[in-house]
Amino acid sequence: QNISLSERNAPFEEVISKLKKQSGYVFWYESKLLKQAPAVSISIRNGSLKQALDILFKGQPLDYSIVDNTVVINKKTSRLNPLPAMLNISGKVRDEKGLPLPNVTITVKGTQKGTITDKNGSFNVAASQNDVLVFSSIGYKKLEVKVISQTEMNVVLEMDQSQLNDVVVIGYGKQSREKVTDAITTVKGSALNQYSGSNFAQQLAGKAAGVIINDASAQPGTDPQIVIRGIGTLTAGRSPLIVVDGFPLSEGSSLNSINPQDIASIDVLKDAASAAIYGSRAANGVILITSKKSSGDKVSVSLDVYSGLQERNDKHQYADAYQSAQFLTEARDWAYVSKDPNNRNISDDRSTRIGKGAGLRELRLNYLQPYLDHQPGLTNTDWSDEVFRTAPMSSYNLAVSGGSCKTNFYVSANYFKQDGIVIENGLECYSGTIKMESKLSRMFTFALSINPSLNKGRYFSNNANNSNDLVSDITISYPFFPVYNADGSLAISQQIKTNTPEDGALAENPVALAKKIKNNLNDTRVFGNTSLSFEPLAGLKFKTLLGADIRSNFYDYFRPSDIGAYRAAAPQPASAIETNGHVYNYITENTVNYTKSFGLHDFDVLAGYTFQSENGASTILTGSGIPDNKIDNIAGASAYTAISDRYQWSQISYLARLQYAYANKYLLSATLRRDGSSRFGENNKWGNFPSVTAGYILSREAFFPKNKVVTFAKLRASWGSAGNNQIGSYSSKALIGSASANGANDYNFNYVFGNTLSPGFAATTTANNNLTWETKTSTDIGIDLAFFEKLNLTADYYHSVTKNLLLNVPVPEQSGFTNSIQNIGKVSNHGFEFELSASNLKAGAFRLGFNANLATNENKVLALAPGQTQIIQGAKSNFVTKVGGPVAALYGYNITGIYKTQEQINNSPHLTGTLVGDYLVADTNGDGLVDSRDQVSYGTYNPKFTYGFGANIAFRQFELNLAFNGIQGRKIYDLGLATLDESGEGFALPSLYYFQNRYHPVNNPDGIYAQPNLGNYSSARRLTHAANLFYYSGDYLRLRSAQLAYNLPDALTSKMKISHIRVYVSANNLFTWTKFRGYNPDATSNSVLTDGLSNANYPVARSFIFGANVIF
Amino acid sequence: CKKELYQNPSTSKDISKFLSNQKETEEYIAAAYGNLQSPGLYGLYFPAFAEIPSDNTFDEVPSNDNAVYGQLDKFSTISSNDIVETTWRDAYQAIQKTNVVLSRIDQIDYSDAALRQSRKGEMMFIRALLYFNLVRLYGDVPLVTAETTDPNLLFGKGRQPVNEVYEQIKADLTAAIPLLPNVPAQPGRVIKTAAQGLLGKVYLTLRDYTNAKAQLSAVLNSGKHSLMSRPQDVFAVANENNNEILFAVQFTSGVNGNAEGSSMFQQYSPSATVTGAKGHNLPTLNLYNLYASNDLRKGVYVTLASTGSPFDNKLTAPTTIITDGPSDFVVLRYADVLLMLAETENELANTAAAAQYLNMIRTRAGLTGTAAVSQAGLRDAIALERRLELIGEGHRWFDLLRTGTALQVMNQYFRDNNIQITIDQHHLLMPVPQSQVNTDPSIKQNIGY
Repeated sequence: QNISLSERNAPFEEVISKLKKQSGYVFWYESKLLKQAPAVSISIRNGSLKQALDILFKGQPLDYSIVDNTVVINKKTSRLNPLPAMLNISGKVRDEKGLPLPNVTITVKGTQKGTITDKNGSFNVAASQNDVLVFSSIGYKKLEVKVISQTEMNVVLEMDQSQLNDVVVIGYGKQSREKVTDAITTVKGSALNQYSGSNFAQQLAGKAAGVIINDASAQPGTDPQIVIRGIGTLTAGRSPLIVVDGFPLSEGSSLNSINPQDIASIDVLKDAASAAIYGSRAANGVILITSKKSSGDKVSVSLDVYSGLQERNDKHQYADAYQSAQFLTEARDWAYVSKDPNNRNISDDRSTRIGKGAGLRELRLNYLQPYLDHQPGLTNTDWSDEVFRTAPMSSYNLAVSGGSCKTNFYVSANYFKQDGIVIENGLECYSGTIKMESKLSRMFTFALSINPSLNKGRYFSNNANNSNDLVSDITISYPFFPVYNADGSLAISQQIKTNTPEDGALAENPVALAKKIKNNLNDTRVFGNTSLSFEPLAGLKFKTLLGADIRSNFYDYFRPSDIGAYRAAAPQPASAIETNGHVYNYITENTVNYTKSFGLHDFDVLAGYTFQSENGASTILTGSGIPDNKIDNIAGASAYTAISDRYQWSQISYLARLQYAYANKYLLSATLRRDGSSRFGENNKWGNFPSVTAGYILSREAFFPKNKVVTFAKLRASWGSAGNNQIGSYSSKALIGSASANGANDYNFNYVFGNTLSPGFAATTTANNNLTWETKTSTDIGIDLAFFEKLNLTADYYHSVTKNLLLNVPVPEQSGFTNSIQNIGKVSNHGFEFELSASNLKAGAFRLGFNANLATNENKVLALAPGQTQIIQGAKSNFVTKVGGPVAALYGYNITGIYKTQEQINNSPHLTGTLVGDYLVADTNGDGLVDSRDQVSYGTYNPKFTYGFGANIAFRQFELNLAFNGIQGRKIYDLGLATLDESGEGFALPSLYYFQNRYHPVNNPDGIYAQPNLGNYSSARRLTHAANLFYYSGDYLRLRSAQLAYNLPDALTSKMKISHIRVYVSANNLFTWTKFRGYNPDATSNSVLTDGLSNANYPVARSFIFGANVIF
Repeated sequence: CKKELYQNPSTSKDISKFLSNQKETEEYIAAAYGNLQSPGLYGLYFPAFAEIPSDNTFDEVPSNDNAVYGQLDKFSTISSNDIVETTWRDAYQAIQKTNVVLSRIDQIDYSDAALRQSRKGEMMFIRALLYFNLVRLYGDVPLVTAETTDPNLLFGKGRQPVNEVYEQIKADLTAAIPLLPNVPAQPGRVIKTAAQGLLGKVYLTLRDYTNAKAQLSAVLNSGKHSLMSRPQDVFAVANENNNEILFAVQFTSGVNGNAEGSSMFQQYSPSATVTGAKGHNLPTLNLYNLYASNDLRKGVYVTLASTGSPFDNKLTAPTTIITDGPSDFVVLRYADVLLMLAETENELANTAAAAQYLNMIRTRAGLTGTAAVSQAGLRDAIALERRLELIGEGHRWFDLLRTGTALQVMNQYFRDNNIQITIDQHHLLMPVPQSQVNTDPSIKQNIGY
């Protein structure tokens, strides 16, 4: 490879051609370039090719490079072109499969300039030579391409299995996943929408470790409970703070007004450190919802439609008419005989029984004889089948987005309709979104977001009140009565009238309750915000935001006179209720943010001030004296009572945050929030909520062994504190009211002297000027690992202590009060969380992904009020919150058998009042007596651990998605089962299970449930309603969603001028593996102290959906 | 802007700014009276609590309504029984209202000093009446006579002995008597004779017959009271607050959104006779049969429903809303005073005077004078007359306790009627509400529960 050349002022092209011959290398160039080059002189003997080229290219406007055996000649770069030319670069971004990638962000490195790819993956960007274009998109590896002279750039983005470059939304900002040092779980909108439902909370079940979704009442429109990292409060609210695009919603506001199909991602801030920036409202965790934005410059239209059917999917089952007849008769016979076994006999007829002093419930139901004789063809109504149904559900969603390079918009409209699986029940939602963002000038950006919605519910109170709640009414609706009369009209009050002589259950026909009672609930809401950002320097940003949430609700109830109520046959006086309410909530928020990097130091500083205030008013009008049913609303009434309520709260907050990273390895952040709230006592208005976190990316260290197994490793630790202020607006004050608040035994303070009404007012609550928020302090240690760049594992251990619990503590009643809200007590929570995920694994033509998570939680009460060792709640006094134990442990007797003879009772310690056929109860403390001291704990509703896992499999145009969620170590107390269906009282219908397992000396001598006994139902039996036999396992594993989708081939869709079509079939809750025999293994009450109290809770439906997504 | 952090409620009042003038104090006093209408007191549970355990009344469907009435009837009362719980709670809520007024009223400007004195007397009477009920039902009870400023201060104090509670009752009534007017300014207000009559009953219960006689005679000699001429006039709604009434808790139909009536009529009507009838606290057929056929009270005080069940006819049926009964609940009336005088005189061995008072009641009932002449015979005759005259008014169980005959009478009654129940000493007190034992372990349960 010795080169010898001697030329003087020879044309450059000629010399190169000689060089080509001598060296045998391939030369690659544009001949035009060489022709324009100036002539050269060279003199070299036995030199190398490189020496020759160096001489030749000196002073030339050209550059060369040697690659293998090729010499590439190019125009020389900037050094010789001090004014680089602006290039208009266009191109297309695709994924590895060759599918166009929309929404890819393209920025010119080091500037704010950039664009986004449209739905076809196309983009257009202006850049100079030598600029570097950065292509980034969530879920893909970032790609940098240097601009040389190309005007067309076709780019392929590789999937990023590590997900470390994902953007995580944090309070008042964003952060890349690899830099996050708190416990934050992100769930993508696409994963959520595999479950079809009215709100995101249902969709979140099983998707995030440590986040439990309890669909306690699955009535359409009812929000599920969201519990993040256990229960840290006892009587204040337990809901997390929900922040939609930066707007913190007030607690308890319906989740249905957030259209799930508008959600781009959800970030759950689980530890107090990440939540601390939200201060006094963040102790229960924070859920940040980011809604979808414009997907590019060109207008894109996306249409999503689905429709399907829902059906009941629980194990609740009643005995049929013939079985029930036998049971009711056994109960009445034994009631009669057991009162005086020597003197009374089962064969005594009605008049003999009356003669011997039998009560009404000791007489046989006179109409049951044909059933006892097993005559075929008698009325055998399955009321469950009448009340439940297969119900349709559908959703129509249209989203339009687009914009120019300065302004972009996203507009969507959604109509969602879900009929309940209970007749005459359902929800309709109309919602929309308007989002707009505009770059007013180089420095100013204006943004606007408005979300109007209207929710119309045909609703009923699922509160186990037998005059209104048709689900609980099934329990006492006997199968011997028809739904309809022979003429097709509703059979009204038949059971009430027929059962009156023997005082059977006096229930109204539940179908009639559903059809005749009007129960409409309309919520109208608009929330949104506008913001203006000012960016005078790169990295320095001022933002001011104004937001508002305006809600109004209207409730319309009418109960006509031609329907009965529990124990009251029709006609009854008609009644009407109308509620009107409104809430105005507004916020102002001013923040300044400065981001700066120098050398290896990265800083991000945030400071802000926010003010939020809410006021609300409601009026409840109750009408009576309704002469006829012609006007089916409040206007038909002639007498009214009105209850009016108004409130206001305000909160002032200051916030600050510093984030620092050194060499992208050492991460540190600290936040401080200072909150003042009107809800708290005069002496305790202000609180500070600090947090500190640190992270260490081990895998970036030189000493970290380079390997292909562990490709990323980060250690994290965080500490922070957050508050909970969810108590009423005026809880710190001793309020004067005109009625007691004793619940069922309420009374008003007014009095009549003679017949003259004298208004009465007295204190109803106690004052507490020291009342303040409860403070949760938590520590979190975590590790993030990536294996093979594809598999991500996150593990966390957390420990939190909530102190100054806002506790509505029972106080000694001689104080004149039953409860008082105080800051006392402490609760701790600790647990482990694991999240594992991988995506885009390839196996032949299959592409696979999976995710799994597991979370444990254990809570413990550390202290209650001074001198107070326990709080006992529940109708059966069986929910015990004890110092040293968990919150709301289920206490009860240990039933070990059934007393079959009086001798057995006499010879063993037993509960006072025990009769033959009652339960044998263990003397657990061995003191020779059986009494309340023998109750022991049987666990809690709060599960020992929860888990979720899912997989997606793609093969050619097909995709299959599966998601499971599970609950383990949960106990439920179903009051309906314990006191009615399986109590053996002979009042309600027996569950089939009870019927088959009841004890009866003749008909079922091996039964495990107490003998049916109606009129002589003993106190001992009532006490044993709280017992092991009635504490059911609420464990379940559910196939939450399964979806099979088919993506139409591009070749086909492009002919139709449609960019993408996807059709799918899916099933929600297809299988639920549980032993729970009640309606709903998620059932619980609203109060933390009676968590796990279930009573005819609306069951979770199984649904089958067919849907399509079309993008134009 | 920090002003915003100081928000005051606009639809309810705050006690720090309340009770500053006469009008507000009068409202607080009305609330103390209003509390007497509560379900745990004279709104519903009191007569059931004071009679179902006795031989006077029973619960028609014992397992109904969570068996709260049935348990009283069967002596299987558990400490979480709603009647046990609610009576305790409502009594203390009313007592607290009287405590608040009594602790503050001296600082309030009243237009009329005598009115203020009267109000103090009224509050003391209500407090004494409720403690008297509590001590008879539960035995030892917590004794609170001060306004609650911090409910936490009440933890750990336990129950005070019966005699201390009685001392407070006597002190309150003794103090109230001189403060109270002879004639009520408004119907239903507490008057002097009401306090005297109640104090007489307290002394009688304590078997202090001399003091009992003094107080009861003061009522007799006040000249303010007389028996109505016919039994049907005593409880007629049109005739409420008549001369025979010393104190009655007021109820009226159709006022304040139908919230000032009583649900007793509905709850205490035999099943299937009126809408929502529950048959709680029905007079026994046995009792009905004790009325002689010529007794004018038969069919007036107690009568038979279409179903054959006897029921308490002292309660008048509501005409519009079934739970909005118009009948006042009579706490103390002249007939009771006369029968207590008869009992007092008899125990003081003045049998002739005793018979004379007893016969005043018998005469009004259209009966001849009592045949009993001996002290023992009169004791039985008076006890029987009290049953017949005062049925449904919440006396019988207390009468049995007062006269020490509860165990003997009830166990005999159970034997006679083939009821498989035997009661012992512990049944003479009701259990302390379970919620209170749970809340404050210094509150101990009564023996046997």
